[in-house]
Amino acid sequence: MKLQVKLAIYNALSKAVVVLAIGLILPIIVQTVVYNHIDKRLRARADKVMILIQRGGLNEIKMEQDCSFESFNILKEEFVQIVPLLTNPVNGFSVNYTNETLHIESELLNHRVLKQAFMFDNQFYELTVGEGLSAVEQLNRTINRFTLIVLIVVLIVFVFFDLYFARLALKPLNMIISKKLIKINSPTSYDFNTIPTNTSEFKLLNSSLDQLMHSLKQTFQNEREFIGNVSHELLTPLSILQTRFDNIVADEKTPEPIAEKLIESQKSIIRLTKIIRALLLISKIENKQYLRNDSLSLKDQVNEVLSEVEERIEAKKITIENQCQIDLVLHKVNRSLIHNLFFNLINNAIKYNKQEGSIIIKSVLEKDFVELSIKDSGVGMNEEELDKIFDRFKRFHSGGEEGYGLGMPIVKTICDFHGIEISFLSSPNHGTEVLLKIPVDQ
Amino acid sequence: MNVLIIEDEKSLSHEIEIFLTEQGYHCDVAFNGRVASERIFVNTYDFILLDLGLPDMNGLSLLGEAKKAGSEAAIIILTARGELEDKVKGLEMGADDYLAKPFALAELFARMQAITRRKHGLTNTVMKISEFEMDLNNRMVTHNGDAINLTKKEFDLMNYLALNKNRVLTRMQLSEHIWGDVLEEEFDSNFIDVHIKNLRKKLSAKGSIDWIETVRGIGYRANLD
Repeated sequence: MKLQVKLAIYNALSKAVVVLAIGLILPIIVQTVVYNHIDKRLRARADKVMILIQRGGLNEIKMEQDCSFESFNILKEEFVQIVPLLTNPVNGFSVNYTNETLHIESELLNHRVLKQAFMFDNQFYELTVGEGLSAVEQLNRTINRFTLIVLIVVLIVFVFFDLYFARLALKPLNMIISKKLIKINSPTSYDFNTIPTNTSEFKLLNSSLDQLMHSLKQTFQNEREFIGNVSHELLTPLSILQTRFDNIVADEKTPEPIAEKLIESQKSIIRLTKIIRALLLISKIENKQYLRNDSLSLKDQVNEVLSEVEERIEAKKITIENQCQIDLVLHKVNRSLIHNLFFNLINNAIKYNKQEGSIIIKSVLEKDFVELSIKDSGVGMNEEELDKIFDRFKRFHSGGEEGYGLGMPIVKTICDFHGIEISFLSSPNHGTEVLLKIPVDQ
Repeated sequence: MNVLIIEDEKSLSHEIEIFLTEQGYHCDVAFNGRVASERIFVNTYDFILLDLGLPDMNGLSLLGEAKKAGSEAAIIILTARGELEDKVKGLEMGADDYLAKPFALAELFARMQAITRRKHGLTNTVMKISEFEMDLNNRMVTHNGDAINLTKKEFDLMNYLALNKNRVLTRMQLSEHIWGDVLEEEFDSNFIDVHIKNLRKKLSAKGSIDWIETVRGIGYRANLD
């Protein structure tokens, strides 16, 4: 998940929690405050009634001895009631506040009610002062709803604001990722331009990456120069020998036995040359000196290799089946390296094959890769040999022919360079199947 | 034809000089960029063989200089550094070919012949080889107008032998020419014999093939006028 989205979600969630909490607590607070106010009012009225009674007796409020008294205002919002008690009051003379639903003239009305017992003329009475709650409840609901709406609007506004700010603040990071990290597989494709930012962490990240890539680039450059120098220093003397021997062999005056010996020596020169070139090839691929901008047909490429090795195929009377799909095209590859890869694999399939054996080459297009299989009917390999297949200068003598032991390391390097997965299915005397998973996502 | 060999390794330039002189070229040699630059300005060359690793300057800038000076010489880059970028740059800057050291002198000669043919257009595309005619454009060999059906490899072998006429070509040189730089010791050099045998069979059905000589233990030679 992207950091920006994470931050936005975190912000939205934390704000939602706050809104929810306020939404839950607010009605309780409002109610408490409102009841407090009403209770004070009720108390004041009760006190007033008590004062009236003390001053002028029950007559003062036009109440008769031992009778109940009830007085409502016109909308039944307020009332005062005095009821004589037959027994001693349960709670003594303390004041009680309760909510009661009163049935008044066929209407059910919620009231806040104060109850207080008092004694007058040796008779207990209970004074009840009430006030209707319907208006207050209505108001409460309105306040709560309104507050909630305001909070939700504020929440949404803040989420968008956070999102925008997170994007703004993270923009340099996104730029660093898109310009300096994604699809950068060698210092040559790295962008050394500084990403503008005033966030110190991003500045540090930017400069650290630049530094890292710079030193990597330097290392690559040194390596490249080293390869060039080694190559020059080793191959120049070889080319002197090569051309000199060429001239001596071609010279009419050179006796035949000497010419033959020189040709044998030339073979050593060529052998040495090829080993050096193979090692340099591996270094160059690892040093990313090859471009990957060719597109080629899989089947054509296999056929090209097959025509190059036709003499070997004929000499061993091997049957070849090229079942590659005709329309499979590999993109973003290096033609000469892919050629080299197929050459090595097919050549091995011939080299370690039996007389009159077979080689089946087929391709399957999967979702995001092409699977190429090269299956021979040859001597196969045991576990130990399979483990060491990519070791440099490792040679297997079972085929009776010798190479330099660099073919498979080159295969491995080329596969790595192209992101190709290579695997082997093999057992002694049952042949070998090489499986290549060539990515086609580009 | 005049050739300028620009190569700081004296033994190597000497061997190239011996070989090309024998093939009838007139050779000048320069061991460094300064001398080479002077020579290019003063003389007219058909070929410049350019080593990229010169002691006093980059071979590529010398190439640029030569092109700027309006030299019409065909330029073949010779290098042991094996930098891919150099190859691409060199060819982009107008070099005609590129040979990685070490190379067989016969290969150098074949490349020079190919460039000469390219430069002089269509006039020179049919080679007379003994009684046979080799059409390089259509890759056809005929005998008195009768086409002889050769494989690609047989055609290339015949062409290579004829280009290097009167000179022994070893099996190794022939197989390197046919298969290029492959990573197999003695790769297919025995198959050369098979190809030559087939070539001889096809050619002898139409005309004399006395000119293809087997040099025992070494290779083959085309004895032509």
